[in-house]
Amino acid sequence: MTVLRVDEARELALCAAQDGRHETVEIALVAPVRPAQRLLVHAGTAIAHQDGAA
Amino acid sequence: VRFVDEFRDAELGRAVSGQILSLVEPGRHYKLMEVCGGHTHSIYKYGIDDLLPANVELVHGPGCPVCVIPMGRVDDGIAVAHEDGVIFTCFGDMMRVPGSEGSLLEAKAAGADIRMVYSPLDALRIAKQNPDREVVFFAIGFETTAPSTALTLKRARAEGVPNFSVMCSHVTIVPPLRALLESPDLRLDGFIGPGHVSTVVGARPFEFIPVDYGRPVVISGFEPLDILQGIEMILRQLADGRCEVENQYKRVVPYEGNLRALEVMAEVFELRPHFEWRGLGFISHSGLKLTEAYAELDAEVRFSVPGIRVADPKACQCGEVLKGVIKPYECKVFGTACTPERPIGTCMVSSEGACAAYYNFGRFARDREVV
Repeated sequence: MTVLRVDEARELALCAAQDGRHETVEIALVAPVRPAQRLLVHAGTAIAHQDGAA
Repeated sequence: VRFVDEFRDAELGRAVSGQILSLVEPGRHYKLMEVCGGHTHSIYKYGIDDLLPANVELVHGPGCPVCVIPMGRVDDGIAVAHEDGVIFTCFGDMMRVPGSEGSLLEAKAAGADIRMVYSPLDALRIAKQNPDREVVFFAIGFETTAPSTALTLKRARAEGVPNFSVMCSHVTIVPPLRALLESPDLRLDGFIGPGHVSTVVGARPFEFIPVDYGRPVVISGFEPLDILQGIEMILRQLADGRCEVENQYKRVVPYEGNLRALEVMAEVFELRPHFEWRGLGFISHSGLKLTEAYAELDAEVRFSVPGIRVADPKACQCGEVLKGVIKPYECKVFGTACTPERPIGTCMVSSEGACAAYYNFGRFARDREVV
């Protein structure tokens, strides 16, 4: 998912999925996070950054 | 390669397929296990199986979180859901998993307040909105999902939400792999390692496979090129006489995993002495429960959980499918009595289940031409 907006105090981010769906995601495990970064999200929690090229 | 469509490029796929063909020895049969249900789904969705030589066989492993939950555990969940004042929450796939006397979906139809959630945080929100009700989250999944439950429990404690609790059925990936490697029923040549679990645990926990059992492991991503390259890397190790853990999914998986996630899990969970897996029986130190520090949020402490043990239906061969002993189409009820609409076994319920993958993508047998 792509980060749209970050609420650092609550460790939450508004993210967009590929299909355009928006979702609030827990980011405590991958912080700091910036808008436009891509995150791997499982069950509402980001568990990894997804920005590296193969 | 950076964008998703590049990971699905047919020309590149055929090129990797050619490299795979050049690595296999004629006359030798290769059995590779993809551990994760997400890989199984991708393999059949994209027809990766058809790009492999006939002597490279993919065997489907126990990495589908819904598939490994035994019927008795579903019955336990239904018993808690029927308690007065309880709102029982779980992931969507879990709703249709059959227990001995029906599924959570059927219990909901019979009047229990059972709600589907996308995340444990949704369950916590329901608890805050319903302070006069007890809200239980039925937590399932491997190390990929367990951090989400752990963070939710930390939030529940920090925010003081007394009517929230978790029925923990999280499991860990290494013990069943060790059990499979010890099994005399199955001879495997290598493993496609679980990509998403590895984002949390890293690659190190899989080192026992080459060290103790002499089998290569390649942690792979989920796009078609990821999986093909993972297979190519395993076969290259075998051709070179090497045996190690390699990481094809470096763009997401750090070798050490996500240390913060591991820290949170260690604070909230501890290993159970043993846990029952569908088809695999009891496996030591393979399930998680809440630590003493979080006991007040443990549904198994708060409610009377019957601890029911139920044998799988005789017709269902999910156990053999999960162990990779038979293919889904070899099960007696596959596609007839057991379909995604009316599943008998768990492997037909979840989209990550091997039976559902075979059924949904039309794999009723493995008759194919040699590439």
